[in-house]
Amino acid sequence: MQNTSIIQPSPITYGHIAEPSKIGSVHGMAVALKFGNGDEESKRRQLIGIADISCLSRFGVKGPNAVQWLRAHKVDLPEERNSWVATSSGAVVLRLGNSEFLIEDSPTSSLAPSLASDPPKMFGVYTVRRSDASLVLSGSRVQELLAEVCTLDLSEKALGKNAVVMTQVAGISATVLRQSLNGETVYRLWCDGTYGTYMWHTLVEIAEELGGGAVGLSSYFKELA
Amino acid sequence: MSMRLPRSTGEWINRDKVIKFSFEGKDYTAFEGDTVSSALWAAGERALGRSFKYHRPRGVLSFANHDVNVMLTDGLDTNIRGDVVTIRDGQKFVAVNTDGGVRNDKNKYIDSISPLLPVGFYYKAFHTPRRMFPFWENIIRKAAGLGIVNFNFPRVTKRKLNRHCDLLVIGAGPAGLSAALVAAEAGLDVVVVDENQYAGGSLSYDRAGSGELATKLADLLSMVNRTPNIKLYTGAYAAGYYTDHLVPIVRADGITKVRAKSVIVASGAFEQPPVFRNNDLPGVMLGSAAQRMIHRYSTKPFDKGLVVTANDHGYRVALDLIEAGVKVLAVVDLRASGQNADLMSNVVRKGIAVHTGQCVYEAVPTEGKFGVKEAVVCPFDEATATVDTSKAVTIPCDGIAMSAGWAPAAALLYQAGTAMRYDYTVQQFVPAKLPAGVFAAGKVNGVFDLAQRVHDGARAANDVLRYLGKPAADVVVSEHAGAAPSHPYPVVPHPKAKNFVDFDEDLQLKDFINGAKEGFDNIELMKRFTTVGMGPSQGKHSNMNAIRILARIRGLPVEKIGTTTARPFFHPTPIGHLAGRGLHPHRLTPMHAWHEEAGAEFVEVGPWMRAAYYKKPGLSKAEIVQEEALAVRHAAGIIDGGSLGKFELQGPDASEFLNRFYTGIFSSQKIGETRYALMLDEAGVVVDDGVVSRLGLESFYVTVSTSNAAAVYREMQRCLQTWKLNVGLTNVTGAVGLINVAGPKARQIVAKTTSLDISDKAFPFGEIRETEVAGVPARIIRVGFVSDLAFEIHMAAGYARHVWDALLAAGKDEGLRPFGTDAQRLLRLEMGNHLVGHDTDGLTNPFEIGAEWAIKMAKGFFVGQRSLKIIAKRPLKKRLVPFVLDESYKGQMPQECNLVIEDGQIKGRTTSVSYSKSAGRVIGFAYVDPNQASPGSRFNIRTDSGVMVKATVVKAPFVSLQQGA
Repeated sequence: MQNTSIIQPSPITYGHIAEPSKIGSVHGMAVALKFGNGDEESKRRQLIGIADISCLSRFGVKGPNAVQWLRAHKVDLPEERNSWVATSSGAVVLRLGNSEFLIEDSPTSSLAPSLASDPPKMFGVYTVRRSDASLVLSGSRVQELLAEVCTLDLSEKALGKNAVVMTQVAGISATVLRQSLNGETVYRLWCDGTYGTYMWHTLVEIAEELGGGAVGLSSYFKELA
Repeated sequence: MSMRLPRSTGEWINRDKVIKFSFEGKDYTAFEGDTVSSALWAAGERALGRSFKYHRPRGVLSFANHDVNVMLTDGLDTNIRGDVVTIRDGQKFVAVNTDGGVRNDKNKYIDSISPLLPVGFYYKAFHTPRRMFPFWENIIRKAAGLGIVNFNFPRVTKRKLNRHCDLLVIGAGPAGLSAALVAAEAGLDVVVVDENQYAGGSLSYDRAGSGELATKLADLLSMVNRTPNIKLYTGAYAAGYYTDHLVPIVRADGITKVRAKSVIVASGAFEQPPVFRNNDLPGVMLGSAAQRMIHRYSTKPFDKGLVVTANDHGYRVALDLIEAGVKVLAVVDLRASGQNADLMSNVVRKGIAVHTGQCVYEAVPTEGKFGVKEAVVCPFDEATATVDTSKAVTIPCDGIAMSAGWAPAAALLYQAGTAMRYDYTVQQFVPAKLPAGVFAAGKVNGVFDLAQRVHDGARAANDVLRYLGKPAADVVVSEHAGAAPSHPYPVVPHPKAKNFVDFDEDLQLKDFINGAKEGFDNIELMKRFTTVGMGPSQGKHSNMNAIRILARIRGLPVEKIGTTTARPFFHPTPIGHLAGRGLHPHRLTPMHAWHEEAGAEFVEVGPWMRAAYYKKPGLSKAEIVQEEALAVRHAAGIIDGGSLGKFELQGPDASEFLNRFYTGIFSSQKIGETRYALMLDEAGVVVDDGVVSRLGLESFYVTVSTSNAAAVYREMQRCLQTWKLNVGLTNVTGAVGLINVAGPKARQIVAKTTSLDISDKAFPFGEIRETEVAGVPARIIRVGFVSDLAFEIHMAAGYARHVWDALLAAGKDEGLRPFGTDAQRLLRLEMGNHLVGHDTDGLTNPFEIGAEWAIKMAKGFFVGQRSLKIIAKRPLKKRLVPFVLDESYKGQMPQECNLVIEDGQIKGRTTSVSYSKSAGRVIGFAYVDPNQASPGSRFNIRTDSGVMVKATVVKAPFVSLQQGA
């Protein structure tokens, strides 16, 4: 259960490459809302924007009866393994393999805390503690970045609309999907939070070489500006 | 004297941009696009380098990076391939491997003493007497090698990219381009790669004096450029073939790893030189080199010369030379008959004499061997490869173009597992059986006629379509007609030798004959003895002749000799390309920023960055570590243990799983209790240890060592799959933070942050509680690794920094001090706790470390049990013991891994050694003879300098305990 009076740090330490110009507390976590001014951000973002969205609420569950438990809690589920769906409130539900799920809220949904408040007690369902670094990436040159850090073909042609890919990004295990966010094609990426700083620095370094770079959370979620 | 020709269609130079450079201290001009060799040749220079062994002057041979005659340094980079590397304005080049420059190389005398330096000379001459070997080794090492590595080379990031496609075509010649167009028309996503600066392959230089082919190439390229699903990479080579059609493409700025659904190798063939005396002089070059020079760089190869040929290609070369204004004195053809009538008559019509059944017996050098003065031509008997010198004719000339045959550029096909056969109609190895998804087209496939090569490309593309399950047409490629493109034995003997086979390594015909006489008559052995093909060009111009020569020596057909192994990379590739961006993933704990601010010196532990110690001005590392350890002994210390592996196991079979996985019993473990867990492999070797805490009837929490965490988790997953137990296993290593507060004041510090009763009575050693610390949910475990009074606090990683700060505040007045992994190692040693992986190795069994107490042999199956039963019956060979040095000892400090010696025999080794202020002496662990393992026994440790130091076995711990105070 989250203690809302304590502000958690993001698993990502920004520093060194790009310092945020505005940090704010979102869902109990201090995250970068902006890097530079709005013009600079949008210019970067057109080429490659990378934002830390680790503050979004997250819930993990696994086990042979996880599907049954989630259905009992009226959660929309992907039918296929390694796929995802978006709920009506904007949360994403990722089916990792056959019987493990990752649920990440949108800034305005609260599915994860709701599920966490009533953790599974039934046989064959286990809560999975999540402490992910969660990123969103987009831009006209994002494929060039992805081609440098991932051996899989993540282009629109190859990566199915609702496919979840568990692969290696920049040499570490990561989960990737592609979605349309406010009409823009973006990539969502999760990795273990302890690798968050490494992942951030690696991706931002490459993005900057390609003319993009770090952007704030509010760049993708205007409601958090 | 300029050798530059007038502007021509398709030339690779931009005459509108003149650039300046220097070579060996002399200034030159070039056009943009010129290579070093083309610009120097155009300026009239002939001697562009010196050979590796005999330091003979060298010019252009292949003009295609199939030899290394022209290897340069620009002061920054080294071993620059002059034939193919384009010049940048202002570059200053010097040839490598000279002492005094190309023209005045002080080592040129070696050529005159070459009879004293046959192959194998080094192996035989210097190994006795043994005491002299270091002397000779020093000289040979200095003489060996070509360029000098620049250790100040700047770190330039070479990007490594991944690319996917339906079809990768290697080679953008007529076959490759034809294949790409057919495949692309069928909708495939096609990538074409070619090592040359521009596409076209032989169409860009092999014109036979006609402009028609330039137009054909332009048309082909125009079609390729208009096809959006063809991506053409030039100036990039396919470096190797790996499983599942993974082909790294090396570009100047990095590597693209292409994963293709199918691959067509249309890489063409390397032209092979005929072997005759002085065939390495500047001015003697391959026919294709002369053609490249003419058509790509508009440079005349020589003014008046002859063409020596053993195939029809030589006639095409002659026609190109004539068209370029070269006075071709004669075509000398080794073959007595079989010439292509049309080509021959074209040459004759131009007034050129054709001498069939003749060879160039030798090229006579000019002064200093910097060029060709004349060619000696003699009748040649193809069947016996003998020369009739009585009818020698001398032809004054300044150049010779050579065409004798080809070797397929089949390295990638070999690497892919292609079975090759020798095709006598083309006198060449060709693919006999290709692996699934790999196809060959063009010259590498034994198809030489231009029209048929285009057909063969289309045929290969249709084979690809069929392989990918798409509709495909049947394309028929005609069998080869006429004389073979390669001569079966274009080798001319000469009593004075210097008839070179391998130009990289200065190997002559006699070297092969001598090698075979010495018994190295297998191609792999001969390669190693003579070093043929072991130079930087990896046999591109020499291997085929070497095989033919060995076949002739042994009296066997060529196919019985076989080929040597073709290994990646296709060309030498800079280390920087392989390094790429140098990704080095690190895991950081939530307190990492705090450690940085506190002056931590970090150390890599597995993937983690951990604080080794916290720097203090004026104190050495050793002093700081002792201070940090003393704080734990006298007050309290706090360490970030977030890197420890942490797993949660839930389910009805969780205890059964742990019973099988570890050596102890966990089914009887009480809720709230922790137990030591020792992990073995099937051989009974100690792999890891940790702590298992029982949280509920079906719920366990397991901690394992930092560096083994990933491997242990993988093994747990594997065992779960194998044993099919009903257990939910979750790796929470990154999701859970861990802080250890240890020392006599640990209890009062932790008590300030939690409402839990943590008195020894309520919360004794070896138990776990789920509670709140600093207002957040946490688990606390009473552990005793670094101190017998210690509290391990586990909480969600996101709250770890908050709890850390709260504990620091609570311990502010209690002398609480952070300590790092260096002090942790000392503290655990003082406590007498061994470290798996540090005090054990890949062969250590639990009996050797005194861990019998942790093994429950009587229970059902556990991993390693069967092996332990066998090991237990054998006498123990060594035993890990705690030891001390005498209190008064002031001599050389023993190091970890120093040997334990008794009666001149090795009995064991030290594994941990450290001075302990708390113990007041040097303490450690060592393996000793089991007979010397009892407390009070004395044994000898031999230090690095050979001094024997007496040590005494003691009982651990080395420090007095708090006893739960």
